[in-house]
Amino acid sequence: MSEAPFALNRLAPPIRTALGVTGAALLAGLAVIVFGIWPARQQIRTLTAEIAQLRDTHASMKADIAGTQKQRAATEAAEAALKAFLDQGVLEPLLGSFSMRGKSLLDPLAKASGFTISSVKEERLIPLQVPAPPPQQLYARQLVEFTGYGAYTQIVAFVQAAEQTFPLAIVSGLKIESQIQTPERHKATLTFEWPVKGEKRK
Amino acid sequence: MNASLHLNLLKDDERFTSSPIRPRIMIPLLTLLSVAGLGVWWLLLTERLSGAVHEKAIREAHCAELTPARNQVLSLRAREKEVRAALTQLGFYRASRIRFGDTLMRLPQHVPASIQFTELRVPPPPPLPAPDPALKVKPLGPTNLVEAVSLRIAGRAGSSASDEAVRSLLDALRQPAYTNLIRKAEIPKGAFRQDSARGPAARESILFEITCACGERRFK
Repeated sequence: MSEAPFALNRLAPPIRTALGVTGAALLAGLAVIVFGIWPARQQIRTLTAEIAQLRDTHASMKADIAGTQKQRAATEAAEAALKAFLDQGVLEPLLGSFSMRGKSLLDPLAKASGFTISSVKEERLIPLQVPAPPPQQLYARQLVEFTGYGAYTQIVAFVQAAEQTFPLAIVSGLKIESQIQTPERHKATLTFEWPVKGEKRK
Repeated sequence: MNASLHLNLLKDDERFTSSPIRPRIMIPLLTLLSVAGLGVWWLLLTERLSGAVHEKAIREAHCAELTPARNQVLSLRAREKEVRAALTQLGFYRASRIRFGDTLMRLPQHVPASIQFTELRVPPPPPLPAPDPALKVKPLGPTNLVEAVSLRIAGRAGSSASDEAVRSLLDALRQPAYTNLIRKAEIPKGAFRQDSARGPAARESILFEITCACGERRFK
C-alpha cells in the first residue's frame, strides 16, 4: 500500500508534474463526458424525438383542418340521413307513454278501416342488435299491443294501412279469434313494433 | 594500458531522448488538448440543445394555435361516427322488416267455402335468452342475428270433402303468391281431427291447424 507514494517520490519532479497534469486532465475530461456531454446528448435525443412527433402532429393537424369542409359535409349528410330515418317512424313517447303515441298514430287508420280499437297496452322493450363500433345512443324495439274488433277485411285493411303509412311499424304479433256470438266480427290482438331510442351507453 | 573510462555525470531526470518528442511533455499536452476538445464538443452540444428547446417551443406553439380548429374537426368526425353507428343499428331493424298485410289480404281468395278459420296467430317475438354468465363483458344487445317468425292457422271444415278443402288451402299457401312471406306450410301430426269437444252436433265438422314457417327476420 505504501509503495505508490514511495514510487512517486522517487520520480523526478517534471515527470511527477506531467503525471499530475495528465491525471487531472483525464479526470476533468471524464467529468465533462459524464456530467456534460452524456446528459446533453440524451436530452438532444429526447428533444429530437419530441420535435419529430410534434412535426408529425402538426402535419396531421393541418391535413385534418384542410378537410374541415369535407368532414362537415359528411357529418351533415349522415345527420340528415339519421333525421330522415327518425322522421320515418322512430317512435317518440307521448307524455312518457309509447302506447299512447302508438294509439295516436294508429287511431285514424283504424277508424278509416272500420277496425275498433278497444285497448292499447305497452309491451316489452327488446334491445336491438348492436353494430361494431356501437353508438352511444342505443335503439330498441318497442312492442305495443292493440286489441280490437272487426271483420277480417277490416282487420287486415288496418294492418295494411299501418304498414303503408308507417314504414318502420311492423306487425310482430297477431291473433285473430272468431267469436261465436258475432261470426262476422272477430277479436284481434295486434302487436305492433316500432324502433325507439333505448339506453345511452356509459 | 589503454583503458577507457566511461563517466556518467547526468542524473536520471537530466537524460534526454534523442527523439524530438518528449513523452512527459506530449502526453499531458495531448490529454489537455483532448479535454479542451471535449469541452468544445460540450459547448456545441449545449448550443444544439438550446436550439432544440427553442424549436420544440415553437412547434408546440404552432400546434396550440391549430388545436381549436382541429378539435372542431375531431368533434365533427365523432358526430359522424356516432350517427353512422346509429344508422347501422337502425339499418338492422329496417332489414328485419316483415310485411303481413298484403298476404293476409290475399288469403280469403284461397279459402274454400267449406272452411272457417277459428284462429289466425303470429306469436310475438320470444323473450331474449339470459346472457351467458360465463361472459365477462355483458353484451350491449342480443347476439342472435335472426328471429324466427311463424303463422298458425286454425279452423274448422265441413265434414264432406274436408280433407280436399284443407289440402287445397295448404297447396294455396305454398303457391308463389305467398312465398315472399311463407316459406313452409304444413299440418302438424294430429292437427287434422274430428271436432269432438263441442258435442254430438259438431262431430260432423273437422278441425285442422296449419303451421307456416315465415321468412326469418334478419337483423344484419
